[in-house]
Amino acid sequence: MTETPIMDRLVARTVERHRPLSVHFDLTYRCNEKCVHCYLDHEDHGEMTAAEVCGALDQLAEAGTLFLTFSGGEIFLRTDFFQILEHARKLHFDLSLKTNALLITPARATRLRALGVRRVQISIYSDDPSVHDAITLAPGSFQRSLAAIPVLKEHGIVVKIACPLMRQNLLAYRGVMALAERLGVPYTFDMTITPMMDGGLGVLEHRVSGADLLPVLQDPALRPSRPDPTAACTSSEPVLGSVTSSGIESTAYHDIPCSAGHNSCYVSPYGDVYPCIQMPLAAGNLRSQRFADIWDGSGELARVRAVRESELPICSVCPIRQYCERCPGLALMEGGDLLGAYGRACDLAEHKARLAGVDNPISTWHERGIGKGLANGACFNGGRASLLTEAVLPPQET
Amino acid sequence: MTPCAEGCWQKNPSLAWREVEGETVIISPDESVMHELNGTASFIWRHVDGHNSAAQIAELLASEYDVTPMAALEDTETLLTELAERRLLVPAESVEKESGTP
Repeated sequence: MTETPIMDRLVARTVERHRPLSVHFDLTYRCNEKCVHCYLDHEDHGEMTAAEVCGALDQLAEAGTLFLTFSGGEIFLRTDFFQILEHARKLHFDLSLKTNALLITPARATRLRALGVRRVQISIYSDDPSVHDAITLAPGSFQRSLAAIPVLKEHGIVVKIACPLMRQNLLAYRGVMALAERLGVPYTFDMTITPMMDGGLGVLEHRVSGADLLPVLQDPALRPSRPDPTAACTSSEPVLGSVTSSGIESTAYHDIPCSAGHNSCYVSPYGDVYPCIQMPLAAGNLRSQRFADIWDGSGELARVRAVRESELPICSVCPIRQYCERCPGLALMEGGDLLGAYGRACDLAEHKARLAGVDNPISTWHERGIGKGLANGACFNGGRASLLTEAVLPPQET
Repeated sequence: MTPCAEGCWQKNPSLAWREVEGETVIISPDESVMHELNGTASFIWRHVDGHNSAAQIAELLASEYDVTPMAALEDTETLLTELAERRLLVPAESVEKESGTP
């Protein structure tokens, strides 16, 4: 049987009727690694209890969620994690995990498999332990993360390596590819380094400039396409994509930017519901509202659902639009406008267009000189806007 | 593969599945394969609970859809057999043994 038609029909149906097919659920922001590029505040500001999480899962199942990804922070730091998994199993979700795998043991792998966990994504930053550990700031983390991969595989769990690319590890990507191939697992690279959830921009110093990414963009071994995180069948094809987004990719999206708010959303450890982890528009909170009321009644979600790429004021007329992978969440976070352009996306689109043979490509945003002044930004601290200054808005990508 | 002695099937407990707008999507984690059931098949799937026999499900089907009892039974048995062949259904008693329930 073929998978794509089923997935496309499912995506089309859920987009048309706004069903939350896929949910990315962060259970904690606490972490046993302190990655230099991480956008999270690792302090616990009042995580939902297991009972609250399980109640939320009941509501998600009732609303039609099938694909459920538990992530963090480091999920295994929650002592009630398996209690939550057991409940999720009873609700028949398709379960995926994102973890650094430091706390994976054979016994835990056995339990994960028994509880129906189908896929685990593990962050590996380099094939060089010193480079990886210098990013996680956790000595020995490379060896421990790596050791978990065969353990999970032996238990029949699909493992995928995710590798965000930044200044510290850009040149390691070929080594990560070779490592993944030796381990027999698929991999994905991500050029996205996002601002902190509180709007802090310090982590952006780790971003690789568009010009420095050229070797990656030019590498024929890397097909510049997005991953399909919900595809039932796994693929060993190398991809450039997002390791943070829980969005679904499909041809069924047509004129909408992505799945966020249409058939996917993000839930924080504190019960906040957002269209996506990269889109700081607070739609509601599960501690005081039912999911269905948030999903069906949020003005913020309605605002996101109204966006059509063909109507974007700048990007829809951009001559190099086909080379652009604009993220609406990052447009909001970095450019201050859900409908707007932002420098990083434009820069990368120009580089890709140039590589494709376009003569002197320039985005409409750059052509009009729009990105020269201050831009409103947004953050996850209750959806309040903050300002990003020109000095800290590097011309970089999604 | 034939139904269990009592003619009852149970959904394979390892599956992920969801009914979305009347149609059901099922994922078997062992093979990472996705299956899709149309509205009628979803009706049958919904009533597979370890207790309903094929005849009982067919009766419900005939009362819900414009179909003769004989055709309903034939469709139900055909679907149940196909689902069982794909290990999406297992004999009800085997689930009880696997889950340790009496």
